[in-house]
This record gives sequence, C-alpha cells and structure tokens, in this order.
Amino acid sequence: MSPWMQKVLESKRAMRQRLQALSFSEKLKLLEKLRDRSLAIAESPLRRRQHVKG
Amino acid sequence: MKATLDVINQMQVDGAIGKYAIGGAVGATFYLEPSATLDIDIFVSLENSPGSPLLTLSPIYDYLTLRGYQAEKEYLVIEGWPVQFLPPSDDLDREALQQAVETEVEGTPTWVIAAEHLVAIGLRTARPKDFTRILQFVESGVLDADKLGSILQRHGLLAKWEQFGVKFLGGNP
Repeated sequence: MSPWMQKVLESKRAMRQRLQALSFSEKLKLLEKLRDRSLAIAESPLRRRQHVKG
Repeated sequence: MKATLDVINQMQVDGAIGKYAIGGAVGATFYLEPSATLDIDIFVSLENSPGSPLLTLSPIYDYLTLRGYQAEKEYLVIEGWPVQFLPPSDDLDREALQQAVETEVEGTPTWVIAAEHLVAIGLRTARPKDFTRILQFVESGVLDADKLGSILQRHGLLAKWEQFGVKFLGGNP
C-alpha cells in the first residue's frame, strides 16, 4: 500500500473515532442531517429521471 | 428525534407500551459513528389482549392515530420519523429488551439495545446491511467479547458467528 493511501485510511479511521466519541444527542443530530440529505437526493428530479430510464 | 422519543415515553407513562429500547441503525449510532437511516426500530414489550394468546400492536396504533399520527405501511410516523414497533420475536429479543442500556437524548431519558445484543440480533437477521454493521462493531472495539460469546452461546448463534468470522474476518471472529 502506498504511503498516500495509508495516510488516507488513517485519516478516515481518525474521523470515525471522532464521530464515535460524540454524545448520543450529537450523533442523532448528524443522523438527522444524513437522513434529510438522503431524502433530498431520493426526491431530486435527476434521480427520478434516472429511475424512469431504469 | 427528541420529540419522537418524548411521544414514545408518554406512551409508556400512559400504559400503551411496556419497556422499550431503540435498536437498528439508530441504536447502533449510540456506539458507532452515525450512519444514514430513514426509520427508527423500537423493540417494545406488549401485553396480550384479554382472552387472546396473541400479541397485538393495536393498542399502539390506536393510541397514536387517536392523537393524529399517521400509519404508513409498517410504520407509524411520529414527529417526522417513521417508527417501527417490534414486539420480541424470541428469547434473544426479550433478553435484549430487558438488558437495554439507559441513556438520554437532549435530556429525554431513553433506552438502547446493548451493543452485544445488536450484534447477535444482526447475526440472526443476516441481511448484508446487518453484516456491515457487525463489522463496524468489531472494528470499533466497543464489544465485550465475553458478554458477546455468552449471548451467542445462549441463543444458539455460535455456528453463525463462526461462519461470519470465516467469511468476513479471515477466520478470526
């Protein structure tokens, strides 16, 4: 594995640990934002058009 | 989410439900990094209807629809969140509910299924997303190996755990 990739993976691991260490209330606020984004993406006209094309 | 839990707590106070605990992706978020989900799984103990050996979700539907909340497929939408109420289906669910961890969300008390029980339930359910979450639990280091081993043994899931280990952990669960 290249040093660059190792650095990327280490950075991702550190981010996950930071998120894991948040309080439940803080995590749920993030989860609500993730949910809002998922719903917005699902409702976007671009995605609907893609879905119709199959 | 807090508003949803406030309603569920009030249901408990009013006797519509017994003990409850959050499971699924929201429950896992208590231990792991948040991951996107569209609904909340609530494990809930219910009383049998008088004269019936069957558990029914009717008291929950009646309670919530009377207060203006809508049912959508298998969910009840409470303060913007689709909530699925899951009565225990076996001894594992019953134990998970009994041993749930008490916590709070912005001052609102609530209960979450213990990490080891979430893993055992995921192993039993065995969908791809359950395996992904189990891997997250393993990698996070939050699991108590002795507690997990004892739960898996008690509920006949050791063989499945070994298969999971061979498939996803190089034979080292």
